[in-house]
Amino acid sequence: MAMRQTPLTCSGHTRPVVDLAFSGITPYTSSSNGKPMLRQGDTGDWIGTFLGHKGAVWGATLNTDATKAATAAADFTAKVWDAVSGDEVLTLAHKHIVKTVNFTQDSNCLLTGGNDKLLRIYDLSCPEAAPQEIAGHSSAIKKALWCNDDKQILSAAEDKTIRLWDRSSMEEVKMLTFDTSVSSMEYMADGEILAITYGKTIAFYNALSLDLIKTVEAPAPINSASLHPEKDFFVAGGDDFKLYKFDYTTKEELESYKGHFGPVHCVRFSPDGELYASGSEDGTLRLWQTAVGKTYGLWKCVLPEDLGAENSEQLYTSPTEIKA
Amino acid sequence: MVTPVSVLRMPKGPDPNSRGFDPKSPRFIALCRPSIPTSAVSDADAEQLQKEQHARSVLRERFLRCVLSMTNKNVRFHMHERVKVEATFGASDIDVLNFQVSDLHTPIGVQKEALIRSQDVISFTFDI
Repeated sequence: MAMRQTPLTCSGHTRPVVDLAFSGITPYTSSSNGKPMLRQGDTGDWIGTFLGHKGAVWGATLNTDATKAATAAADFTAKVWDAVSGDEVLTLAHKHIVKTVNFTQDSNCLLTGGNDKLLRIYDLSCPEAAPQEIAGHSSAIKKALWCNDDKQILSAAEDKTIRLWDRSSMEEVKMLTFDTSVSSMEYMADGEILAITYGKTIAFYNALSLDLIKTVEAPAPINSASLHPEKDFFVAGGDDFKLYKFDYTTKEELESYKGHFGPVHCVRFSPDGELYASGSEDGTLRLWQTAVGKTYGLWKCVLPEDLGAENSEQLYTSPTEIKA
Repeated sequence: MVTPVSVLRMPKGPDPNSRGFDPKSPRFIALCRPSIPTSAVSDADAEQLQKEQHARSVLRERFLRCVLSMTNKNVRFHMHERVKVEATFGASDIDVLNFQVSDLHTPIGVQKEALIRSQDVISFTFDI
C-alpha cells in the first residue's frame, strides 16, 4: 500500500526561517528573522524561545549536547544562551551584522563571521578577552565552520570563495573559487563530507582534502542541502518551494515534496537520519519522514487491517516520549 | 490508492504567554545546573570543590543504597497536603522523578499498582 508523506508543520515563527541546526542528540534550534526557538528534535514541539536580540537573527546553532545555543544577528551581536533555562549568557559585540556562529566540539570556543569580513574566535571561558581575528575575505562572510577536529576553520563569503584556515597559525591553507555565490555549506556524515550549494548545483567534497567528489544538478536554484548520515541519499530545497530527494550514488532524483509556501532556506537531517527539517520564507519549519509510513515521533504506522477498525481512535491517544 | 501517513497530533507551538524552558519539564530537571554552592562561583577553590564533590558522592551513594534496600519493603510516605500513605516499594526511575509502588493504601482504598511523583514526597520511612 503506497503511503504519502505527511509533513509536520511547526508554526510560531512570524518571519522567515533562515537557519536551523540539530544538536548532536535530538533537540534543535531554528532561527527566524524574528525570534530563535528551541524545539524537540523528534516531534518539533516547542521548548522555548530565546528572547534578547534586537534585530533579525541570521544564524543559530547548538552545541553537541544541546546545553548551549548561539545566535548571530543583525543587531551587530552574537549571543550565547543556556539552552536548558533559555537565559542569555553572553553578548558578544561586533562591528557589523553577524551572520554565522559555530561551537567547537568541547563548547569552549565560539567562531563568528559576518558583514565586517572578519572571522572571530571567542574563548567562552574568558569572554571579556579580545577575540582572535582572521582577515582575508573581501566581502561579507555567510558561513563559518570548525573542521578537522577544530584544528581548522572553513568559511564561505560573498566574494565567491570558500577558504580553509589553520587555527593555530591563523593563515589561509586553501581556497576554492566559484562562479557564483555559495548559498550553503555544511559538513555531513560525521565530518567526512562537505556539501556546498550554489545556483542549481549541490556539490560534495572530501572534507579533509577539499577534493571534489561529485556534483548534482537540481531542477531549481538550491539554497540548502543535507546528506543522510548513511550517505545513501540527500535532500535539497530552494527557490521553487519544493524539497527534493536524490539518490547520492546514482544522482537520480527520487522524490519531490510540495508543502512550503515560500522558498526553502535551510534543510537538515536529524542526527539519527529518521527525519529532516526544512525552514522556509513562509515562516514555518516542516518535518519530513525519511522512511515514509514508519512509526517515529508523531508519525504512526498504520497497517491495512487497522484502517476502518472500530476502535481506531486508540491510534490517537498514545503518549509521545520526550527525549532530551 | 495512496494513503497519507497518520499523525498522532501536530507539533506543539509556542506558548503566547511565556518564553518556555519549563522548569518542571523532565528535560530541565535532568539537565539543570548543579546545586553545589562552590561550583556556581567561577573562581572556585579547587580543594573546596573537591571536598564538596566528595560529600555529594557519599550522600548520593547512601541514597542509592537506601533505595535499593527498600525494594519490596513496606514504606510510609509523608507527602504534601498532609498526605500519609503506605505501600510496598517497587523501584525508582533513573532521574528519581517517580516511585513505582504496589498495594498503595490510600484514604479511598487500596491501589494495586501506582506511581508516586517524587516531587510530591516530603519524606519516607521504612524498617530495614
